[in-house]
Amino acid sequence: MDRQQEFVLRTIEERDIRFVRLWFTDVLGALKSVAVAPAELEGAFAEGIGFDGSVIEGFARVYEADMLAKPDPSTFQVLPWRGESPGTARMFCDITLPDGSPSMADPRHVLQRTLARAADQGFTFYTHPEIEFFLFEKGWRPGETPTPIDQAGYFDHVPHGTAQDFRRAAITMLESMGISVEFSHHEGAPGQNEIDLRYADALSTADNIMTFRTVIKEVALEQGIYASFMPKPLADHPGSGMHTHMSLFDGDSNAFYEAGAPYQLSKTGRQFIAGLLHHGAEITAVTNQWVNSYKRLWGGGEAPAHLTWGHNNRSAMVRVPMYKPNKGQSSRVEVRSVDSACNPYLAFAVLLAAGLKGIEEGYELAPETEDDVWGLTDSERKAMGIKPLPASLSEAIEVMEESELVAETLGEHTFDFFLRNKRAEWADYRGQVTAFELDRYLPRL
Amino acid sequence: MTARMPSLPGDLTRLGFSDPRRADTLLRDRSLAPLIKDRERVESDGLAVSLSRVADPDQALLALVRLLDAVATPANDAFRDDLVEALREPGRARDRLLAVLGSSTALGDHLVARPEHWTAVADAFPLEVEERIELLTTAVREPAAVTPEDALRLEYRRQLLGIAALDVSRPDPQARLSEVASSLADLAEAALEAALVVARAQVGDAADRCRFAVIGMGKTGGRELNYISDVDVIFVAEPADGADEDAALAVGTDLATRLIRICSSATTAGSLWQVDPALRPEGKNGPLVRTLESHVSYYERWAKTWEFQALLKARPVAGDRALGRAYVEAVAPFVWQAASRENFVEDVQAMRRRVEDNVPSGEADRQLKLGPGGLRDIEFSVQLLQLVHGRADRSLRSGTTLTALAALSQGGYVGREDAQTLATAYRLLRTLEHRIQLHRLRRTHLMPTSASDLRCLGRALGHQRDPEEAVVTQWRTAAREVRRLHQRIFYRPLLSAVARLGPDEVRLTPEAARERLAALGFRDPKGALRHLEALTDGVSRRAAIQRQLLPVMLGWFADEADPDAGLLAFRRISDELGTTPWFLRLLRDEGSAAERLAHTLGRSRYAAELLEQGPESVQFLGDSGGLRPRTRDEVQGRMRAAAKRKDEPQPAVLAARAVRRSELFRLAVASLLGQVGLDELGRALADLNGALVDVTLEVVLRGVEEQTGQPPLSRHLVVGMGRLGGGESSFGSDADVLFVHDPVEGAETRAAQEQALEVVKELIRLLGVAAPDPRLEVDAGLRPEGKNGPLTRSLESYRAYYERWSLVWEAQALLRAAPVAGDADLGAAFVELIDPLRWPEGGLDAKQVREIRTLKARMESERLPRGADRKTHFKLGHGGLSDVEWTVQLIQLEHAHEHESLRTTSTMGALEAARSAGFVDAEDAVALAEAWRLASQMRNAGMLSRGRAVDSVPSDLKDADGMARIMGLPPKSGQELANRYRRVARRARHAAEKVFYEA
Repeated sequence: MDRQQEFVLRTIEERDIRFVRLWFTDVLGALKSVAVAPAELEGAFAEGIGFDGSVIEGFARVYEADMLAKPDPSTFQVLPWRGESPGTARMFCDITLPDGSPSMADPRHVLQRTLARAADQGFTFYTHPEIEFFLFEKGWRPGETPTPIDQAGYFDHVPHGTAQDFRRAAITMLESMGISVEFSHHEGAPGQNEIDLRYADALSTADNIMTFRTVIKEVALEQGIYASFMPKPLADHPGSGMHTHMSLFDGDSNAFYEAGAPYQLSKTGRQFIAGLLHHGAEITAVTNQWVNSYKRLWGGGEAPAHLTWGHNNRSAMVRVPMYKPNKGQSSRVEVRSVDSACNPYLAFAVLLAAGLKGIEEGYELAPETEDDVWGLTDSERKAMGIKPLPASLSEAIEVMEESELVAETLGEHTFDFFLRNKRAEWADYRGQVTAFELDRYLPRL
Repeated sequence: MTARMPSLPGDLTRLGFSDPRRADTLLRDRSLAPLIKDRERVESDGLAVSLSRVADPDQALLALVRLLDAVATPANDAFRDDLVEALREPGRARDRLLAVLGSSTALGDHLVARPEHWTAVADAFPLEVEERIELLTTAVREPAAVTPEDALRLEYRRQLLGIAALDVSRPDPQARLSEVASSLADLAEAALEAALVVARAQVGDAADRCRFAVIGMGKTGGRELNYISDVDVIFVAEPADGADEDAALAVGTDLATRLIRICSSATTAGSLWQVDPALRPEGKNGPLVRTLESHVSYYERWAKTWEFQALLKARPVAGDRALGRAYVEAVAPFVWQAASRENFVEDVQAMRRRVEDNVPSGEADRQLKLGPGGLRDIEFSVQLLQLVHGRADRSLRSGTTLTALAALSQGGYVGREDAQTLATAYRLLRTLEHRIQLHRLRRTHLMPTSASDLRCLGRALGHQRDPEEAVVTQWRTAAREVRRLHQRIFYRPLLSAVARLGPDEVRLTPEAARERLAALGFRDPKGALRHLEALTDGVSRRAAIQRQLLPVMLGWFADEADPDAGLLAFRRISDELGTTPWFLRLLRDEGSAAERLAHTLGRSRYAAELLEQGPESVQFLGDSGGLRPRTRDEVQGRMRAAAKRKDEPQPAVLAARAVRRSELFRLAVASLLGQVGLDELGRALADLNGALVDVTLEVVLRGVEEQTGQPPLSRHLVVGMGRLGGGESSFGSDADVLFVHDPVEGAETRAAQEQALEVVKELIRLLGVAAPDPRLEVDAGLRPEGKNGPLTRSLESYRAYYERWSLVWEAQALLRAAPVAGDADLGAAFVELIDPLRWPEGGLDAKQVREIRTLKARMESERLPRGADRKTHFKLGHGGLSDVEWTVQLIQLEHAHEHESLRTTSTMGALEAARSAGFVDAEDAVALAEAWRLASQMRNAGMLSRGRAVDSVPSDLKDADGMARIMGLPPKSGQELANRYRRVARRARHAAEKVFYEA
């Protein structure tokens, strides 16, 4: 830790960094940034930088006093897009109260708390997200349908494609910031792309996702286009999810792996999945936090709207990917409901909490679903005991309100703020008269 | 044969042998023959008498036999005769040899293995560090037949024998402790230097690329080492001229690693000690070797207070001395600026706590070092005072504990006597430690447990009679003394800044006193000094006693959230009580009274204010069993007696109010100490208020009788409502009541009503009249027709009203109605009147249920004060008290008619009954009860902490911290407390929605 702080200060001197952006995330997942001069950084390490918490979504009204942002030196990165010299760098911050205790409203701390709980049981939590997003032409105006930059499809290679240039530039920039990219390709919808980040511990991954979103938007601007993580921007095309692969490690060994078990999935792994399914509905408001999220979730196709699991079943909420022989360390489960516009800290925290609960309580895992869930009739689903995810933000809020698991994981303050904010969002949405209504009703009624 | 018999076993026993039969056999052993003059009478031989003077004669004798056996081999021809000669004749050589053999089995074993080292004992003399270095480096450079490592060990042991010989053969080892400890440190220094020679030889020419220095830390650095102890070091390396820094660091690391191994590893010749480099920057995670600049930049930026405390002892001990000196010079400014660092106060407090907590529990009562009153206490106090005052006063900057202590005394930073006592205790504890370690050359800081070890230890300290017990007593006395001084050593000299303590006492300057107070956590050191001055001013006995007390009390204040407030309150109370003899005696003599007072005042403004109004309540603090709440009869008896002593109504009621105040103080202290639970407290507070109302009513009625010359026209009754009726009052609760009267036979109704109204008004006035003792607000707002209705009604009027007009909310309010004062028969009649109302036959109809729900819903939206947070308001917030109470009351209204267990005025009682009867499921009942209790506790804690009502979870972190401490949470738990409340309240709201609103 101390050595890292030293490293940061040295690097700043060597690379002629003039500004350091201190980043943190509000409860809804928006990135917040405050710039300090390098001279102030030593003080920031020692005591933090004071700011008025009441202006940040979800931090408000906890305590009257100012909050402090304390940079985490292990997250130090020079920002590549601000030009080389004089440079700008960034660090993620932990938010603390004046007495030094971590603020319970800080999403990063929410995740850290949950990770600490896992660590108490000997587990470390790794995640690996596949982030989808859209690239649109610039110049969109309210009321219009946005125009994708191409009309390509899944894995399409577009000659001289903007998307391809874009992905190359974005990946270069990500790599230069120490974020490893595993895979990237054009996705199913026009203008839709996917970039997969490499496996890392959940806190680093969440930090990386926050950085990723910024980088993608930044590169898009440089190329004269616009990037969006909105879950479902085009009604007729699939939305943007963030399929997340997860695994628990017990020391150096993958706790989900058991040689010879079905799908090489250990009892811990099965219980983890059972936890995800058992609590899947109540955590949905966090993993899919916008009104728009539910239009993706219920859009059919590969979107997983039911609490099921399966092996290579792309309609299941939880998928156990194909096991590769002799790769015991790569055993993992993939949650497919999460979307790209979630707050990654909170989403990982509730997913982990749900899985851990399954382990702690020894939940039994229901049989897997082999069929395409969308192809089943309602009665068939009922007969098979398949329950749906919430159909709307409103339903999700209702289930979450009852959830001890989510309350405990987020902390009472954040839990309460989140619900209030989401109820208000739902009320705003319900108050709209949509284009759909006008188109359909005005001529007829 | 017959000549031998009488000598056994008595004479040898008398000489101190614990196994005389075996001693006798050994003394007659063939190998001892050359030493014994009269084999027939060994017990009176000079050898036996000499043996009797050593710590363990049996052990010495056995070792002697083994030693002589060992020298019998031809290899030892060269010195055998000299040794025998030395042992045969009384004198220094024999005494020293026997003393070493009797003190240390390990050194005895060494002599047996290396008998040629006997001269190191017999001819021992003090050596300078340079001589030791010379001897040891020569030994490893020319190791003869052994490896350099073994040569190092042998020469080390040889010199150790000399140090031990001088140590154990002295009549008063404690007096010479510093000499022994510094010799041991010098020997360690020399061994490090020699080990470095070996390491350099192993590394070869590459070693020249780097200037390398070893800095001694801890006891090595302080030149006060033990016989066996880890040797704490820090390594510094610099590139030699022209060399590359990275290469130099690599070589330095290699040297350091080798040096550690050369000293620590066990060879056939044993090992020296562990070399511990853990005090380096970043501890175990940091690089083993750094450059000077890298050290400095670390200390500039990251080091913690304890690291500076450790650096206080830094001293170059081996390698490049110029580099070593440069290091010490470079870090010194950090050490002496440490006290002005941002978090110094917090760090010091944390360190103090750590010192207290850091004892492995199983060993606590045997620990010489870490236990209460152990060496750590002394070292810590001394070092801390050095850090605080060494900034301004260079004379304090010594790494040696005893030297520093003497300097502190010289400068007036520690009282002269205290310093002396502390130094004496330090010498004793260290001597004990030395003797224990010397025995088997093991690193231990534990008092032995076996009788024979204790006996040996006692004899080593010079105890001839009952050595086992004597040594333990001596140790415990010293530890107690240290403990006592440890607590006051910080504080006592503070007083010298403002008061004359003794004629020869050097005074602490006000500047230094302020620095120290700030270091202890006082936010306004100037103010605190003023209070100290006021408290200890003058030559009165009071001032003298305060000077005794305050040093310790200051420490207790410093433990609390607000030390300044605690001290201020203490000053006020002391001013008030002035010279009252029992006050000072109580604090001085009654064990825990002073401590309780300090914690009470530092923690609770409410208790402090009560005490300021009636300082004599301090007496409760001395009464360890005396904090149980008194029964209502007891309290009322006291109030009545107090009231009776006054003729006029107002003084009489004020006297009763004084009794209430002192009871409130008792309850406050009992709550702070966790001696009374919430239920018991609620009952006691309700009883207290009931008793006061009752006695006041008596006084008023007596006044009426005296004024009119005839008995009152009515019998009177006061009915408790709300928490008073439920027996669940809080600190600061109002008394919610109904007034009832019943005209006596023949009295005219209107006249009776008028008189009753006067009685009630007077009662309210007397309870609320401004006076030093807290008033009791009486609220009759729940009466029929509320504020528009008459303050009191006759029983018949109540009957008529309730028959005609009664509303559901009135029935609901009556659920908690219970007579608390006045005429018992009237009380019974009133209860009979209201029972059918509050427990209506058949329960409620749908319309009434809806009415209650609507009322509650409206209340939630309208009654919450502006700006209050709906989630955290204790009474009206979601999941707050009224959620729980209304839920319970609705069940009572609906079902009490058929379930007798529901007919109780207590909210918690009714909730439990509702759960048993199945009206609330277990989970909801737990949620409701938990929230009600937590809100009640937090209201009490808020009142206690701040001295005024706290209606919701405080948004000020310090306030929340103060409440959390009272509720038994560790410091800095303000946020945690808020989170806990919100969770519990959320669950309760959930349950209330389900059960009350049936949502």
